[in-house]
Amino acid sequence: MSATLEIRGLCKSFGGIVVADSIDLDLVAGRVLGLIGPNGAGKTSLFNLVCGVVKPDAGLVMLDGQSFEGLPTYQRARMGLARTWQNLRLFPSLTVIDNLMLGPRAYSADRLVDVLFRPAQIRAHEAEARDRALDILERTGLSPIARSRVQDISFGQQKLVGVARALMNDARCLLLDEPMAGVEGQTYALIQKAVRDIAASGVAICVVEHNVAFIRDLCDEGVFMFAGKVLARGSVEQLIADPHLTELYFGT
Amino acid sequence: MDYVYTILILIGLFVILASSFDLVIGHCGLISIAHPIFYAIGAYVSAMLSKQSGMPVPLSILCGGVGALLASALVAVPALRVSGDYLLIASIGFQLGLIELAKHFHEIGGAGGLTNIPSFLIKDFGRETYVVLVLALAVVTVLFIRWLTQGPYGRMMTAMRDDELAFSMLGRNAIWIKVAVFAIGSGIAGIAGGLYAHYFRFLEPDQFGLLQSSAVLTMVVVGGMRTTMGPVIGAIVLQLMPQIITFFNLPPSILGPLQGLLFTGLVLFFMFVRPQGLLAAADLWVGHKPQGDAGHSGKEACS
Repeated sequence: MSATLEIRGLCKSFGGIVVADSIDLDLVAGRVLGLIGPNGAGKTSLFNLVCGVVKPDAGLVMLDGQSFEGLPTYQRARMGLARTWQNLRLFPSLTVIDNLMLGPRAYSADRLVDVLFRPAQIRAHEAEARDRALDILERTGLSPIARSRVQDISFGQQKLVGVARALMNDARCLLLDEPMAGVEGQTYALIQKAVRDIAASGVAICVVEHNVAFIRDLCDEGVFMFAGKVLARGSVEQLIADPHLTELYFGT
Repeated sequence: MDYVYTILILIGLFVILASSFDLVIGHCGLISIAHPIFYAIGAYVSAMLSKQSGMPVPLSILCGGVGALLASALVAVPALRVSGDYLLIASIGFQLGLIELAKHFHEIGGAGGLTNIPSFLIKDFGRETYVVLVLALAVVTVLFIRWLTQGPYGRMMTAMRDDELAFSMLGRNAIWIKVAVFAIGSGIAGIAGGLYAHYFRFLEPDQFGLLQSSAVLTMVVVGGMRTTMGPVIGAIVLQLMPQIITFFNLPPSILGPLQGLLFTGLVLFFMFVRPQGLLAAADLWVGHKPQGDAGHSGKEACS
């Protein structure tokens, strides 16, 4: 089984603080990997390195065998990388469906030349984007609030919109940063189902989550990170049972 | 009557300037106040091409627009690659530097100004025709910007303004959107500049300085950013106001300072009392109504 996303020898430090210490990690299509570790272990930093938000000191990241080296964030996204954000980062000036409609990989409405001189192509892309958005909203149970503004919906629904928006670009690899934090009840189940469905469609998923129950319910495998290092990889049960890791996690 | 025509033309030109400036600073969120320098580039390029090489005026005006568009890229590409904040500094530097340069460049009239710019339409068809041309182009500009900002590209600009990082993560290239909007806004200003040059037939560098920057900015802010009619109303009000007080027959020693005070007072008044401008932009981007989809609003859908 070859990996969808390969991380090799990734290093990054800010001054004296090491957030990534030669990390090697593979994300495999159809599987959900959970990143576990205390605050400051470098989980979100790893996402930022993979997305190109932060430049690594050394190491490389490859998606389907193609290197991300030197590529800006938007190009990585166009190659099939998607992510959600811990602090959501939805577009408050847009409705839910408009938040989604920006997302398809091949959607040339961000090119002014195309907008001015290829109206037919833009109309076709716009229609595709709308159909895709409506489909994803349907699947994630968000259809009733498609035309709401994002600040008018519940926090859990906002999280789900973040996931739905990330789905728009038909990604090969999806990074979810705390998708369940602060979410309860029905929305919890909806997000869980959405993530499982995405994995089943052949996407490699990586989840950062503090909710151990969610990691256990959702992830095929877990990785324990501490001080920028990957300390252990295995089933979530194994990681939770390891007294050494538990000690690091709770800092006793 | 010529007085009325001149005012109508100035209103038309400033509607074009203010609307295109709103596209840049309001819709795209690019903080630059150097819009008049692109107006100047359009004016000078068109004037020189028609005067020196006898190019037909409509073509020279178009070239002026293209010149302003290309010049804007010179400023925007390096400035925006670093960070958006540099655009303000780079554009002011570009504006003031170019004005100084023009003052010392005698081929284009230097500080004394460029005179005898070929006129257009007026001799053959009268001033009315020129008024109609300028006002028609003002209407076209306003409608074009409305079309652009309410279509898919407007959605892109809105999202980018809200959160550039999240926008990039969706595979969208924010830098090129900024460069493109800055270019098209500047190109439109350049065309307005050409129209100015061939009507007034005289240009001097100091016309296009920071005073004019603040005038255009005031039109946009007072009228209402990110609204279709805001910059239009702003341009009309701020063009008419100084004209109206001249009718009070005040001595020039009072009139001059009064116009300045009125201007500043207006800005201060709006800052404190109505910061959103005369027309307030909706805080939700809606866009054109897609077919078979009218009548939904955010409020209805979420109740």
